[in-house]
Amino acid sequence: MVLRILHWICRLGLAGTFFYTGYIKLGPGLLEPNLQFAAVLYGYRLFPEPLLMPLARYFPWVEIALAILLLVGWKMRYVALAACALIASFISILTITYLRGIDANCGCFSFDDRIGPLTIVRDGLILLPALYLLAETVWSPRTAVQRS
Amino acid sequence: MRTIAGLTCLVLCTLCAAAFPGGSAQVADLKPEQCLGGAPDAPIRLEIFSDFECPACRQLYLESVRPVLKEYCSLDKVCVVYMEFPLQGHKYSRQAARYAKAAQKLGKKEYQVVVDAIFQNQEIWVKDGSVDDVVFKALGSNSYVNLKKLLLDPSIDAAINAEQAEGEKREVKSTPTLFIYALAKEQKVEGPLPYFVLKDFFDRIVK
Repeated sequence: MVLRILHWICRLGLAGTFFYTGYIKLGPGLLEPNLQFAAVLYGYRLFPEPLLMPLARYFPWVEIALAILLLVGWKMRYVALAACALIASFISILTITYLRGIDANCGCFSFDDRIGPLTIVRDGLILLPALYLLAETVWSPRTAVQRS
Repeated sequence: MRTIAGLTCLVLCTLCAAAFPGGSAQVADLKPEQCLGGAPDAPIRLEIFSDFECPACRQLYLESVRPVLKEYCSLDKVCVVYMEFPLQGHKYSRQAARYAKAAQKLGKKEYQVVVDAIFQNQEIWVKDGSVDDVVFKALGSNSYVNLKKLLLDPSIDAAINAEQAEGEKREVKSTPTLFIYALAKEQKVEGPLPYFVLKDFFDRIVK
């Protein structure tokens, strides 16, 4: 019972997080880029120019799709793996940017959020439920399938 | 279970489609002289709350606004409006803003020349406040004399105060802050935006 509650807390928490972070990055129309998000991506000084606008345009939808898949519970192992990979890549990008001494906007939960140790720790904490879901599907695939 | 999942997806997608975070916007009427470049009725309007002493504003002007003026404003596809937002910690930015506002009254060409010179030579005048020298060199003696007369006009300070108040009303917290109006929608962007991003955005609307 406790594990079942923990499972749903992780799923709902992650889905809510991805839905919110995707939603705030949406542009003013379907597939219209959010220019503030494009400016944030540019601020990282990490992405090549041709990649920046497609990222600004489509990435929020990737986050929203992941949120929906987490709620639906379809192919949980792969969805949990994708969530882990995405959050791990956020942490890496934030850490690299911070270590390079770039004063950039995180753009994670708002566009008024400077990158610092706390933002990196926060993203690290978000990785925990994704890791739990992944571990659950890897070590007890039958229970995970039944639960979904 | 599948029904619940399907319904969940449907509700979330509808929510996303119905409530995009960017707001629809009605743009205020402009006089032609307010545009640094382009016509007031251009399909895209770029309003920039800027401080002449801020390095990021200089970067935005030199790397993004200059090419926009050349490629889009000259064809009246974009109207660029500079809104003065001198920050308190910057000693000479209000002085520079006064020169720019006075030049705006002289004419569009003079306005462009003065704004360009002030940003281009920011590193020089920011040390000792020698905006006057920079403007004199850029304008030439005749226009400079006219500009000096205009600087005595109290409406210059009033215009700067009005733009600053407008910025505060629109919750401008830092410079540069851009408001981009296109297709009856508004996007607010804080910080410098590279030219290739603006170009990608503009080309989808006006090309």
